[in-house]
Amino acid sequence: MNISKSIDAEKKKENTIKVIMLVVFGFSLVIFGFLVDTPKVIIQGLYTILTEPDTLITDYIGVGGIGAAFVNSGILTLIFIYILCKLKINFNGVTIAALFLIAGFSFFGKNLLNVWFIIIGVYLYSKVQKEKFSKYIYMALFGTAMAPFVTEIMFSTTLPFFIRVALGTFVGIGIGFILPPLSTYLVRVHQGFNLYNIGFTGGMIGTIIFSVFKSYGFLANPRMIWTTGNNKILGIYLHVIFLSMIGIGFYLNNKSFKNLKNIMKYSGRLVTDFVMLEGFPLTLINMGINGIVATNYILLVHGDLNGPTIGGIFTVAGFGAFGKHIKNITPIFLGVFIGALTKIWNINDPAILLAALFGTALAPIAGEFGWQYGVIAAFIHSSVVLNVGVLHGGLNLYNNGFAAGLVAAILVPIIEAFRKDEM
Amino acid sequence: MKHNKRRISKIVDELVVYLFNMGATDININLKEKKDYYKIVLTSNYTVKDQEKIEKMIKYLKCGKQEEMEEYYWELAGDCDVDTELTLVGMMIDKAEIHTSEDTIKLVLYRYK
Repeated sequence: MNISKSIDAEKKKENTIKVIMLVVFGFSLVIFGFLVDTPKVIIQGLYTILTEPDTLITDYIGVGGIGAAFVNSGILTLIFIYILCKLKINFNGVTIAALFLIAGFSFFGKNLLNVWFIIIGVYLYSKVQKEKFSKYIYMALFGTAMAPFVTEIMFSTTLPFFIRVALGTFVGIGIGFILPPLSTYLVRVHQGFNLYNIGFTGGMIGTIIFSVFKSYGFLANPRMIWTTGNNKILGIYLHVIFLSMIGIGFYLNNKSFKNLKNIMKYSGRLVTDFVMLEGFPLTLINMGINGIVATNYILLVHGDLNGPTIGGIFTVAGFGAFGKHIKNITPIFLGVFIGALTKIWNINDPAILLAALFGTALAPIAGEFGWQYGVIAAFIHSSVVLNVGVLHGGLNLYNNGFAAGLVAAILVPIIEAFRKDEM
Repeated sequence: MKHNKRRISKIVDELVVYLFNMGATDININLKEKKDYYKIVLTSNYTVKDQEKIEKMIKYLKCGKQEEMEEYYWELAGDCDVDTELTLVGMMIDKAEIHTSEDTIKLVLYRYK
């Protein structure tokens, strides 16, 4: 049997559908922003968002208002869709996951100003290596997690203005420049059982850079901007988006949920691209289901829907195209929930809500070794994540990815040693 | 491209692990570097009469070439023996041929330079 790799007309058509869907998603964010706030409030809010530090946890809804936060997210998502199209990237599961991650984190840390320094750094790396930038595009997209380093230096230090700007620019570009070789190398540490590899890499880089900064007396100012009271309006938007995904996926899948169970058979370990393996319609349904589950988890535990939790929900939904499904994320929610029953915090504390949502980075452990191991991983993760943020001063937005990498690196070899399954 | 030779050996690693999981006890590997491409040929017996595994292999290797995915994740190939990374192999090669008989499987993979 010969396996052809040519891109036929059918695949091109499917790619166009994917791009249109993502553009519609981007515009939905912008339109929702303008529905809830006036243009004047949005512009003022955007200015505040761009000129304030973004250390964890900075809820852009609290900084600039709901409208500005949604517009920031929507515009950034649309810009990156445009860049991906210009680079002639074929939109697959990882592309969708990366874009949803951008959309989600644009509610608490990534903005129209701070992401470009990392992107430029990765671009320069590709030029030094004499390679196409497109080869490194996913590292660049995921790498924008380190963007708060730029704004923290530019807007939070007491240095003279030009020195602040120059230093922030240098550090941002520098981080982008070293990110590709490190992210490729460090993926082996957790064997692909942590879906947020750049979070792990960013945590390592952040720990080292922040340690050097601390030696010179620079301390990141911790923030805790966390909005409440918007569950109804944000819940409606999220349900409309995710139910639409399920509906459109159902329609594209010949008006059926046929073969949806095939997705549940994958462990979700890197690299599991559902778009390539099971097609876009089923992936869209899976993403919608993940989004509904994540949203309702927050509502069930009486948590708050706000910038950071929307970021987590979008991440769970986005990775519904690249490794996560209801079967491997549920044990993670359960593990964090059990942890909250026995540990010293509440299930709806901000950091624990985020641990549950972003802890789904460890979903492949549940998918590969069984749900009970997923529960254990999440139970441990909810403790680890509360302790590692201080290492990078909250300047790596994927703090849960950092913690998940550590948990996976320790847990997977132990599980494998005592329970080795045939693939 | 950095580490090109290591990437080739990673592809071979991954395929060997998968064949072992199909019950292979006799694997022959032939690797040739030509002017424009690398040709990897693996011939192996298999004892696990599991058609599903062969179908999975075909499905995974069908994944289109994805240079950007390869650049990020290639280190994972051949590194895990509880799960397969054949999708990644599919993203790292340009063309594949699979021939199966009663107890032998032959894989011919091409990776253009």
